[in-house]
Amino acid sequence: MLIPVAAAISLALSAAVEAVALPLFLDTTGTILATALAGPVVGMVTGVVTTAVNTLRNPTFWPFVVVQLIVALYAWAAARAGLFRSWRTAIPAGLGLGVLAAATSTPISYLVFGCTTTGGIALTTALGRALGLPPLGACFFGSTLADLGDKAVSFALVTSVLHALPRRAAARFPWALRAIGAA
Amino acid sequence: MSRLHPFTLLAVAAALPALAWILPAPAGGAGAAVVALGLAATAGARRGLWPALLTAAPFWVFLLMLHDVATTVTIGLRLTTMAASFVWVVAVLPPPRLVEAMVAAGWSARVAYLFAATLSAVPLFKARGQRLIDTQRCRGLSPRGGLASRLRALRALALPLILSALHEVDERALALETRGLAPGIRRTPLAPPRDRVGERVARWGLALGCAAALVWRIA
Repeated sequence: MLIPVAAAISLALSAAVEAVALPLFLDTTGTILATALAGPVVGMVTGVVTTAVNTLRNPTFWPFVVVQLIVALYAWAAARAGLFRSWRTAIPAGLGLGVLAAATSTPISYLVFGCTTTGGIALTTALGRALGLPPLGACFFGSTLADLGDKAVSFALVTSVLHALPRRAAARFPWALRAIGAA
Repeated sequence: MSRLHPFTLLAVAAALPALAWILPAPAGGAGAAVVALGLAATAGARRGLWPALLTAAPFWVFLLMLHDVATTVTIGLRLTTMAASFVWVVAVLPPPRLVEAMVAAGWSARVAYLFAATLSAVPLFKARGQRLIDTQRCRGLSPRGGLASRLRALRALALPLILSALHEVDERALALETRGLAPGIRRTPLAPPRDRVGERVARWGLALGCAAALVWRIA
């Protein structure tokens, strides 16, 4: 029952993001959290459900379902390595995921959407073009700028949640204690 | 249109964007976009056509910003088809009907539940998020200022929302088990949507049509 809750968390965090007016999506937070709590399969299913439900709101999300799968696999590796033990380890891991997510989403964004997935990415892609980058390079530049901060904040948030979970609650999730380096 | 079987509606919504991408541009994309916008219009101007146009419009602006007119038209028509067909299917297909169809087709009720539960939880959590924002503001939280203070505010808003959601996992699991959604139990749908032979043939026809168009384009 973690899956629908984690997927809904990803989608509901938009309210918090709007309140602080930061250029973030946080739509992979539930996937990262579900993976850190219950392993890669639960994380990947959460990612697919998140994308499917998001697609009902905005159909452009569906082609990016593969990014959610990559995020789950990466978060699993990070949890196994205990990288959620502190912000000092989680934020660089999130930045790494940002680059990986951008590398995964760029071909989709370029081929399917002509790099126009969101207004922010279109603007940063235009900035990349103005800096003299080739079309695909500008698209990667735009996606990376968007993903770096987003994934670093997502990893930091999940780290905070894992540490704030009461021990009894954390013990019910097989991966949680290992993810924070406590097991 | 909404009387069609949910799988037929989904097949049409998937086939139109596929054809828009496969068929030669711009005619293929234009044809698919016209059909998709026509379908969206059948759901009503307010629920179908208008949201479809509003979803597609920003892409045209961004495409024109980044590409020449020919590329803009090619990609824009495909994205318009995609937006219109999904807006149409969301407008004419209530999620509970889709869940009933999935259960009737032999899918696990748990799989069907995943989508229905997420759909129902999102507005609930969003409302809770809004209450948390109001509460934290009452306690003096300022969501404005520099980057660091905004990030601190985000943490103060997101953390209680996520933790309270996680506390619900147990309650939901117990409620589902009480209602027989345990692994291995097959549920009987109360009102399974009727799946006519003609619709099944049409779905296969759409799939074969897309495959044939793809082969034709590659050859």
